[in-house]
Amino acid sequence: MSPDERERLHAVWADRPGLLGFLGTVDHKRIAARYIVTVVGLLFLSGMLAIDMRLQLSQPDMRRMGPQQYNEAFALHGSTMLFLISVPVMEAMALWLVPLMLGARNMAFPRLAAFSYWLYLGGVLMLWLPHALGITPDLGWFEYPPLSGPAYSPGHRADIWAQMITFTEVAALAASVNVVATILKMRPPGMTLARMPFFLWAMLVASLMTIFALPAIMLATSMLIADRLVSTQFFAPAAGGDVLLFQHMFWFFGHPEVYIIFVPAVGFVSSIVETFSRRTLFGHVPMVLSILAIGVLAFGLWVHHMFAVGLPRLGNDFYTAASMAIALPAGLQMFCWIATMWSGRPRFATPLLWVIGFIATFVIGGLSGVMTASAPLDLQLTDTYFVVAHLHYVLIGGALFPLFGAFCYWYPKATGRMMSERWGVVAFILIVGGFNLGFFPMHVLGLEGMPRRIYTYGPDMGWGTLNLVATIGSAIAMLGGIVLTGNALISLWRGKPAGADPWGAPTLEWAARSPPPQHNFEEVPVVTSIAPLWRHGDLPVMTGLATDRREVLVTSVIDAVPQYRHHSVGPSLWPFVAALATSGMFVASIFTPWAVVWGAIPIGVALVLWFWPRRPRSATGPLARR
Amino acid sequence: MNARGAIAGLALIPFLLAGCSREARQLASDQPQTAPSGPADPRTARYAANFYQVSQGGRYFTWYGCGDCHGRLARGAANLANGSRHAVEALYTAIAAGQSGAHSDYAARVPAEQIWQMAAYLHDLSRHEPARNRRNALDQQGEPQGNRWQGPLQ
Ligand code: HEM
Ligand SMILES: [Cu+2]
Repeated sequence: MSPDERERLHAVWADRPGLLGFLGTVDHKRIAARYIVTVVGLLFLSGMLAIDMRLQLSQPDMRRMGPQQYNEAFALHGSTMLFLISVPVMEAMALWLVPLMLGARNMAFPRLAAFSYWLYLGGVLMLWLPHALGITPDLGWFEYPPLSGPAYSPGHRADIWAQMITFTEVAALAASVNVVATILKMRPPGMTLARMPFFLWAMLVASLMTIFALPAIMLATSMLIADRLVSTQFFAPAAGGDVLLFQHMFWFFGHPEVYIIFVPAVGFVSSIVETFSRRTLFGHVPMVLSILAIGVLAFGLWVHHMFAVGLPRLGNDFYTAASMAIALPAGLQMFCWIATMWSGRPRFATPLLWVIGFIATFVIGGLSGVMTASAPLDLQLTDTYFVVAHLHYVLIGGALFPLFGAFCYWYPKATGRMMSERWGVVAFILIVGGFNLGFFPMHVLGLEGMPRRIYTYGPDMGWGTLNLVATIGSAIAMLGGIVLTGNALISLWRGKPAGADPWGAPTLEWAARSPPPQHNFEEVPVVTSIAPLWRHGDLPVMTGLATDRREVLVTSVIDAVPQYRHHSVGPSLWPFVAALATSGMFVASIFTPWAVVWGAIPIGVALVLWFWPRRPRSATGPLARR
Repeated sequence: MNARGAIAGLALIPFLLAGCSREARQLASDQPQTAPSGPADPRTARYAANFYQVSQGGRYFTWYGCGDCHGRLARGAANLANGSRHAVEALYTAIAAGQSGAHSDYAARVPAEQIWQMAAYLHDLSRHEPARNRRNALDQQGEPQGNRWQGPLQ
């Protein structure tokens, strides 16, 4: 590519400067970075809430929080952690990485990605702005009717929670559709499905799961809002409704959700293990099959969250067996990772340390999971601190540790700088150590009968010491989180320059510059193996994409045969405006049903303008003459 | 344009704050033990138009079977449905002592907090949609219904 062409390419893909450029950008890396920065801010806020709760529980009979405040604290903490952090951050990683790993210049639907972020931000504000005004949902992260119904939750707290879900789920659907289309239709020539890196399989499965799981909860929360706003009777047993319907629909989403969080984490772990063991993944095919199996099985387990509501015994038995079955593919993956490390030449840099922390912690979480999956035992353990311990082991150990590993692993790519290894190890030890110190005692507390969601307990219960230990552990973990963030921030200026491929990794994103330019790659790479950068010192490329307009390559689904050059849309304010209009409709519709009618008009206008055809033919062709 | 946006935002704040006091939810601590001291009683503001207190008031209205004489929407005896015409403390007195002696001993039988809540409920009632009232009643069918209670829902 001549310097001339290179310059043109730059200019074509560049964002406009200033506020309009900021609001209108469709650069997947900028959008993903916004997601991640928002998530880090929320992790801090929600972590402070957690510390607040832990201080309250550190001793018996503490009075620093009342019952109402405690209810609000765990509801806000749980909802934020799951709906506003765990799920979106995985989508953000996909938005950032997928095009780079495909050697592509942008996502399949660039404006949809922008829309997804703005709507997600709307969801964040939906929950946290009212909190700042003292109106906080107070029923936990799942709000069952009738408790959340009109007669028991007057006011708008429950509506705020339910509508926050609508926001985040629409955003998640937008992001997932985009990821699926990008992975299936924009792979570089030669990257057949058989040569697709495992990470992309994980993101594909997670996105498909999102598409199938989320409509259930949006429906459930919308029905709840309808019950509360226009007095429908979906969840009123006295009029033939059914409260359990809500629980079924919630958990039909809720169980797959934990895999929607976990499956991308499996992708991170596999990438890291591969790179740092310096060999391709042991058992790539079984790994792919097992992740597909997880994707399917995960939809058949939801009732294990409902063992205590009194469903027929046979049903409980079935779901116990199904829950145990999913341990098989998950276990298989563990063995494949261990075999990869065993047979490779592992280098224990921070990303790999996080993987080891993940394996140790997630195995404990998996074991407590097998315990709670057994219906008779669950009747004893449900709603105790055992469950709190279990859910934090799987969510923090199973999703956040791999995420931290991924963060350290791809940080040089994103910023062009290396993070300090020394401080990375310090953060790792503080977080993993503090976490285990903080949460392991909760298993024991649960077995001793301490219920979850209580704001205090009497001295005669004998839970004081373990709770104090738990609080100290959480504080240490929080300190580690601050070290990790500090390291990331300081390394932005102080870090060593990274170069394109500091870890000697095999996948395409490492062929781009660090940080990647807005168009990612100058030419489309051609792939001949599953680990392209290990195969070729100098990557073969395909030329022919335009340099004077935004063009991407569309290829066939299975064999990635080039099909056509697709015009990729440029920056636009309309996704932002459409998200604004949608947010207005969502917010107003917890106050009046008419908002759905009148609110549809601005949304319609925004969408029409968003999709207004700009093809040259529409100005010069037969259509223009009319 | 930004300045105008900011002003519009500022103008919204009083409404938002008013919304907040309606949403406030005080539990257990400082329950009133006494009747209102008069129109200036500061507690009135905490009860009137507060979603939680009004909802609790509606609940006790059903539990104590007030609807048996006054009607579920309080349009029966003494037509209370226009409670907003009466001050909260007047409603309190009416519940606690009764007008015609029908419930002259309620002050001794019903805790003060619950009378406060029922007074707030009646004060607010004219603003409730009947459909919503019915919907709440559906959810509350398993709860006590005065003398007519049949036990919890099966
Ligand atoms: C150092 C970090 C953390 C600490 C100290 C912490 C602490 C707590 C505490 C004290 C509770 C309330 C338990 C109860 O009373 O029932 C809780 C609940 C919860 N936490 Fe965390 N947490 C942390 C991180 C996380 C993360 C990272 C996630 C998810 C990714 C998470 C998800 C949840 C959920 C879903 C609940 C249940 C909320 C509910 O009962 O509705 N937590 N956590
Ligand atoms: Cu589950």
